[in-house]
Amino acid sequence: MRAPAATTVVGGEVLLSVQNISLAFGGVKALQDVSFDIRKGEVRAIIGPNGAGKTSMLNVINGFYQPQAGSITFKGVTRSHMRPYEAAHGGIARTFQNVALFRGMTALDNIMAGRTLKMRRGFFWQVLRLGPALQEEMEHRLRVEEIIDFLEIQAIRKVPVGRLPYGLQKRVELGRALAMEPDLLLLDEPMAGMNLEEKEDMSRFILDVNEHYGTTIALIEHDMGVVMDLSDRVVVLDHGAKIADATPDEVKRDQNVIDAYLGVAH
Amino acid sequence: MLGQFIETLIGGLLTGVLYALVALGFVLIFKASGVFNFAQGAMVLFAALAVARLAEIMPLPFAIAIAIAIMIALAYAIEFLVLRRLVNQEGIILFMATLGITYFLEGFGQTVWGSDIYKINLGIPREPIFLFQGVFPGGILLDREELLAALVCALLVAVLAVFFQVTRIGRALRAVADDHQAAQAVGIPLNYIWLIVWGVSGIVAIAAGMIWGSKLGVQFSISLVALKALPVLILGGLTSIPGAIVGGLIIGAGEKLAEVMLGPILIRWFDLAGGGIENWFAYVLALIFLLFRPQGLFGERIIERV
Amino acid sequence: MASQSEGPADTFPKLLVRNARVFGERAALRHKDLGIWQTWTWAQVLDVVRAYAVGLSRLGVKRGDTVAIVGGNRPKLYWSVMATQMLGAVPVPVYADAVAAELAHVLAHAEVRFAAVEDQEQVDKVWSVADRLPKLERLFYDEPRGLRGYDHSRLHPIDEVIATGRKALEDPAVGKWLDQEIAAGKGSDISIILYTSGTTGASKGVVLLAERCIAAAADTVAFDRLTAEDEVLAYLPLAWVGDHYLNYAQGLVAGFCMACPESTETAMQDLKEIGPTFYFAPPRVFEQMLTRVMIRMDDAGFIKRHLFHYFVGVARRYGESILNRQPTPWLGRLMYALGKVLVYDPLKNVLGLSRVRVAYTAGEAIGPDLFTFYRSLGLNLKQLYGQTEAFLYITAQPDGQIFADTVGPAVPNVEVRIADNGEVQFKSPGMFAGYFRDEAKSKEVMTGDGYVKTGDAGFFDAKTGHLKIIDRAKDVGRLNDGTLFPPKYIENKLKFYPNIREAVAFGDRRDFVAVMVNIDLTAVGSWAERNNVVYGSYQELAAHPLVYDMIERHIEEVNRSLAEDKVMAGAQIRRFLILHKELDADDGELTRTQKVRRGFIAERYAPLIKALYDGSREADIATEVTFEDGRKGIISARVKIRDVKTASTAPAMEKAA
Repeated sequence: MRAPAATTVVGGEVLLSVQNISLAFGGVKALQDVSFDIRKGEVRAIIGPNGAGKTSMLNVINGFYQPQAGSITFKGVTRSHMRPYEAAHGGIARTFQNVALFRGMTALDNIMAGRTLKMRRGFFWQVLRLGPALQEEMEHRLRVEEIIDFLEIQAIRKVPVGRLPYGLQKRVELGRALAMEPDLLLLDEPMAGMNLEEKEDMSRFILDVNEHYGTTIALIEHDMGVVMDLSDRVVVLDHGAKIADATPDEVKRDQNVIDAYLGVAH
Repeated sequence: MLGQFIETLIGGLLTGVLYALVALGFVLIFKASGVFNFAQGAMVLFAALAVARLAEIMPLPFAIAIAIAIMIALAYAIEFLVLRRLVNQEGIILFMATLGITYFLEGFGQTVWGSDIYKINLGIPREPIFLFQGVFPGGILLDREELLAALVCALLVAVLAVFFQVTRIGRALRAVADDHQAAQAVGIPLNYIWLIVWGVSGIVAIAAGMIWGSKLGVQFSISLVALKALPVLILGGLTSIPGAIVGGLIIGAGEKLAEVMLGPILIRWFDLAGGGIENWFAYVLALIFLLFRPQGLFGERIIERV
Repeated sequence: MASQSEGPADTFPKLLVRNARVFGERAALRHKDLGIWQTWTWAQVLDVVRAYAVGLSRLGVKRGDTVAIVGGNRPKLYWSVMATQMLGAVPVPVYADAVAAELAHVLAHAEVRFAAVEDQEQVDKVWSVADRLPKLERLFYDEPRGLRGYDHSRLHPIDEVIATGRKALEDPAVGKWLDQEIAAGKGSDISIILYTSGTTGASKGVVLLAERCIAAAADTVAFDRLTAEDEVLAYLPLAWVGDHYLNYAQGLVAGFCMACPESTETAMQDLKEIGPTFYFAPPRVFEQMLTRVMIRMDDAGFIKRHLFHYFVGVARRYGESILNRQPTPWLGRLMYALGKVLVYDPLKNVLGLSRVRVAYTAGEAIGPDLFTFYRSLGLNLKQLYGQTEAFLYITAQPDGQIFADTVGPAVPNVEVRIADNGEVQFKSPGMFAGYFRDEAKSKEVMTGDGYVKTGDAGFFDAKTGHLKIIDRAKDVGRLNDGTLFPPKYIENKLKFYPNIREAVAFGDRRDFVAVMVNIDLTAVGSWAERNNVVYGSYQELAAHPLVYDMIERHIEEVNRSLAEDKVMAGAQIRRFLILHKELDADDGELTRTQKVRRGFIAERYAPLIKALYDGSREADIATEVTFEDGRKGIISARVKIRDVKTASTAPAMEKAA
């Protein structure tokens, strides 16, 4: 009964594009002249064999790496590179391949940390905990609670994240990214290390985020089945270069892609 | 006898307050950046030297104000020249960096300010206060400077507690300490946070340095006081502000009492020399804690899922 | 605005109107949403249910229709029950975790035209069997997530239905019409149809009439002195008679407040926050609570652990007699008082039981140790015996007359008798009117003189006059040598060991008794951790020789206790095996209320049972399992079988009671 997602975005407005990005660490060329774009409202997958440069690409987009060549255009502004703060400020949120949570904090505090940039009231009000700051704190808490409800993690709200099983940690991390109310959500292997059931849950959450909040999503994923189900368009990287950029079905038939994946064990 | 005991106890507690102030600087930086800042002692020395020398040419309040500016500038320099280059590195590498900063500051301090012993005069009357003269023969003697130290310490702790526990900056600090990249990804400006904590611990260093300096004179040995802060940290827990205070008090009081009470026993019964207990007591206590309660009195138990 | 209800409140909607009038501003319902407890007063509940009812009638719900309610304990689903009843239609709740086939059976059998469901999962489930439900017209849903893209021609958010109704109610004529609808409800109307999960075969629809439901609830409200001051947490399945009776019916009769948990996983935390005064839990929940406490205590510091064990010992020695106001040595009283401050009260607080005035357990036998443990902490835990067909209560223990192995005397106005074959039969104010669309079955369970056969075998204890239930009447069998074989009695003795989660005993028309055991993963897992037993999976742990040794010791103890009783001595366990997988309701091995489905298991595990009786040391088994998402797979294993020593029938020693 599920209606096809209302996100037929072919020809939609471009939210972010990277042009001719090259990145090298010493002699290792992580990315070579890579260009692609991400359109508003779509789910964009970045795939490729191990060491293809997928995570490096995400790190360039959110400013952890500064490419040696190329430029990034985000929301119409072109830069030679991003800075992490600019990226976060501009509405780019991300999750990490190996869950990067604030381990000493509870799930709730982790997600609240995602609201950092949305907090406006000054230090003085914070100290006094009254008036506008209290009001603001409550508003943020409400948004965070909506996310907790959305991700169905009410039961672990007050649990230090270090104690949670891996699948739930991933969910909390997604929650923290969502708390930023991002325009662009970067997910680095959101389903790595999960069992089938957890994968299905996570897929559902990703689709729901895309549908419910209209968030544009770029994700790296190994599991081809997941990529086919989730994404609108796919970029394929191999040895740091782009070898294909098309719809999932087309990519699946692309000879270059098949060759790149041949013999690559996962 | 009881009077002597109480007097020793109070004297010890007041010394403990000073240990606590140094330890506080450690805790702040550790909490906020996960860096074990070995340079805290050197910062105390540097700050004390700055205040002492500046006070020679201008009124004390101005000297303090300029010293604060210097410490903030120093914090900025450390952040810009060292920490920023080492984002996402292992804790041990950052620790090594602070070792470097320690020796630089100790040397550079002497280059700029000189290497004599300098006095800081806080303008506090020297005569001690006597309490409970009716209760104990001779009453209990209190040093005004140490009393002031206790007050300053209490005030600093109160302000810092509010600053770090209540405001959202506290949450940001903990986030940075836990994971640099993730903190950056949610838009916490790492550099700014580091500047804040190093600046604040620089200011704490001024307070510690001045009080210490007015007692003993400003000299190189002040940076060795920092070593006493290590057992304090182990006792209190690396991440706990109240832990730094309580740890400081326990060690301060403990070593003085041990010296005064235990010393004579060792002399009489074991025919030992009996001195110097003050020098090792803190470290033995810390060792015992390491064995039985490694997270300290107030530290967070590190819980990891395996 | 509401009608002055004339005559007695003989339907639940009339009670709701009364409560809004009498208790208007008192809390009626709470729900934790977005981390905050939301509260509705009786007046507000009436208001929203009226709007909901009008909205439903606009969508075609009318008197006599059946409306399925599928989901967890959520306010909007309880309102669905109320609004349906308000229109004279009949709610048919269905277990939220029912698989599609079960759901289809109930919905088709009850001929529902409408269904109010919780969320996308339930919507998907209902639509997936829609072709078997020709009468089904519309779905109403509570939680909109994921449903945005769905075709909404026959799908309506409950919020929207309420909003439509509220708008319509702006016209006074509509309000008047609704008042007439409420007044038109009669006590003899069908109030609700509860489908029993049924230990055998497909579930049956138990038809309950409004006035009988209310009469039964009024009796027990008086029995336990429940008032509008009380508070309960509705965390048991909404489709189960227990929830409908204890929370819904008693709540409307007494006017107390019912709280809905945030989600099923948070129920334990919510319990702590709400601090209910009336509490029901099946024995297994009390058992899980205790297991959790014990595990936490094993991890606790030295001092805490010793304090706990010491004072639990004190409670075991003196608690019960203090609670029952029997003479107790003053030192015992003193230590108990100390324990209360140091251990019992904090523990009850952690468990969320500190405000509980009356607690019940039922559904299966509770271990005497477990039962006494909670009672000795000062929790007024009692047992009751009931059935869906009786609208719950048949017997219950009155305050002060508590025994671990009885279920109490008949509650007021209920008549209980034991038939010649040992079967318990009752006649009660709340008894059902028959099975829905199943004359034959209805006739089968009713006696000519108006009693209902419970299907349970039991007897009245000579000493106390309380009822004791042994087993299902039809399950009590005989060994080939004629020895009495009540399987459940034996299984329960085994299940009282925390390491044993489930047990299935065989023996009817056999030479001896043999059992299949399910280990408890939490308890055995924690034992394994403490004893450095390494295992990779449930299957591996279950097959571990040391685990077998442990279970063997338990069974030997059970044999000794069976040997004490002359009648049971012949029914000692000779052989056993540990199952390689957990018995699961999804695989049809347990009922939704987690009772063992013996016949089904006997069929499914036939090779194992054969091996139990042919002397084999091990046997191979392959079973199909259903995963949560409905996919199926095969688990196969080689299961070991062991012999157990039986105890000699020692000369029955006179034991102090």
